[in-house]
Amino acid sequence: MDADSDVALDILITNVVCVFRTRCHLNLRKIALEGANVIYKRDVGKVLMKLRKPRITATIWSSGKIICTGATSEEEAKFGARRLARSLQKLGFQVIFTDFKVVNVLAVCNMPFEIRLPEFTKNNRPHASYEPELHPAVCYRIKSLRATLQIFSTGSITVTGPNVKAVAAAVEQIYPFVFESRKEIL
Amino acid sequence: MACVNPVPKLYRSVIEDVIEGVRDLFAEEGIEEHVLKDLKQLWETKILQSKATEDFFRNSVHSSLFVLQLPHSLHQTLQSSTASLVIPAGRTLPSFTTAELGTSNSSANFTFPGYPIHVPAGVTLQTVSGHLYKVNVPIMVTQTSGGANILQHPIQHVFQQLGQPSVIQTGVPRLNPCSLQATAEKAQRMDMVLQQPAALHSGPVDKKHLENASSDTLVPPGNEPKLVSEALLSQQGNSQFISLPGVTFPSQVSQTDSNVEPVLGISDGMTQNLHGGPLTIGPLGALHQHMTDVQLHVKNLVYDCESVKQPRNTEEASSIAVSQKGSNSQMDLSIQVTGDYINEIIQIDGTDDTSSNEEIESIKDVDENEFLGITDAGDRKVLEEADSVSNEDSTANSSDNEDHHIDIVEEDPLNSGDDVSEQDVPDLFDTDNVIVCQYDKVHRSKNKWKFYLKDGVMCFGGRDYVFAKAIGDAEW
Repeated sequence: MDADSDVALDILITNVVCVFRTRCHLNLRKIALEGANVIYKRDVGKVLMKLRKPRITATIWSSGKIICTGATSEEEAKFGARRLARSLQKLGFQVIFTDFKVVNVLAVCNMPFEIRLPEFTKNNRPHASYEPELHPAVCYRIKSLRATLQIFSTGSITVTGPNVKAVAAAVEQIYPFVFESRKEIL
Repeated sequence: MACVNPVPKLYRSVIEDVIEGVRDLFAEEGIEEHVLKDLKQLWETKILQSKATEDFFRNSVHSSLFVLQLPHSLHQTLQSSTASLVIPAGRTLPSFTTAELGTSNSSANFTFPGYPIHVPAGVTLQTVSGHLYKVNVPIMVTQTSGGANILQHPIQHVFQQLGQPSVIQTGVPRLNPCSLQATAEKAQRMDMVLQQPAALHSGPVDKKHLENASSDTLVPPGNEPKLVSEALLSQQGNSQFISLPGVTFPSQVSQTDSNVEPVLGISDGMTQNLHGGPLTIGPLGALHQHMTDVQLHVKNLVYDCESVKQPRNTEEASSIAVSQKGSNSQMDLSIQVTGDYINEIIQIDGTDDTSSNEEIESIKDVDENEFLGITDAGDRKVLEEADSVSNEDSTANSSDNEDHHIDIVEEDPLNSGDDVSEQDVPDLFDTDNVIVCQYDKVHRSKNKWKFYLKDGVMCFGGRDYVFAKAIGDAEW
């Protein structure tokens, strides 16, 4: 009512994290020696492989589990993951691209107004937690969407969720509440 | 500038050591001595052929022609007719006294292979090509391999400008190879240079003098003769070079080994390059730097010509051999002074830095790839068949995503990423620029890499260079 839910807000996806399996054991040493653009972290037992085109960094374990980070969209994440699997295949491993899953999406959104955090926290008691001495933002969790929003007094909101849809829905949900506690400029 | 190339010496010493080391083994095995000799010959031939180092064997056979023109009077201005003096090859210079040179038009032609030559004050050097090089302070010229060629060019420029007091010589591009060379002796020179930090300051002063004086003779600042003498004093050994006035970078010395200096430690101005600049900048920078160095050097010489009195030249002459790396600031100053002639001078450093970051970065990337690994070309063929249907597969997958049961099965065929192409760019083009070294630290922040390397040999542009310390920056 006092919130316009049709307002167009730019939600910028900054990071998409995904995982997939290769269903085969990977020889990290071989990858480190023969792969391109790799960093071998022998102490923790993983190899980082960076791709340029979709700018992503993949963490590869010898078990065949690979975590892919840095993509800016879900499609890009998948694309990059497949590319990565392909390059591993070229190194000689019998790679099968399975269990691809987007695990986390990080997005940023900016409200055109500032927010009064203490008031907001009071109005949204169970979901919002605010500890100004620890962190300057309010942490608002939406259990149904499994999304977490960090709301700053400047109006900037950081959303993390399991996928892009959840993130968008979370922003939609929070808007009216945030709008209530906005700082009006006289 | 130092034109000493440590690489041929190093390589030769390596060859000697290896041959000696295996001599006993060969004897034990019953292999004849001539086999060993053949091996050595073959080795040396290959090095020569690869042109990895210049002048591998030229040191001893090189001869350059130098015509020394002695002013008929040390105390006269440049306009005075000069006598030519050619220093004979292979011997330390006879000591000329001003009295000897008193007569105008007295000339002696010496051809020397560039062996250490001591040129007393007030001598004008003229190379075969006719360049004039006036020295107001005693200098020592030693030969580096290929030095003669180098000297001819700069001196030509000098000659043109000697006629005009306000003129300053142009660059000496050919000095580059020399400039790249450094020997251990350089360390000595560096030490000496350290002792002469004041020399740096005299540069700008000279410049001013030059500006003000037309045909008037300038009394060079006290440092000037020192500079010239230092500049021209060369290090002993098989290096021949006309070292530039003592503009050195004490800081450089502390940073790097003398071997590295010519390559990396160009000058104070280039200090940043030393630290943060890409490794590859070194040789390039050194080249340029030396060009400018030579310019500066010649200019200083010209300054000296203009000076009327050189009483202190002799006393200033020191055995200190200094190679001028030329601080950027000084170089810039000197270059400004030259005016028109600056156009002929190719300034590689400073604002006109022609060394491009991209170029260096790309080279660094290559090196980086060396570090990171090389994709086995053979493995690339593994999935040529894979370049088939990733696209179809991906679309199929997307449609299957809703159906979880089929998901696992459908996603199996990677189809070798039909779409998932080979790397967008075959990054690992195997260039020939290779560095083999040890590392102190390799550090990365996001996509910015920093390399702290040591004790290495690098093949760059077909040439070999050695270094004791190298610092590099790269962006991935």
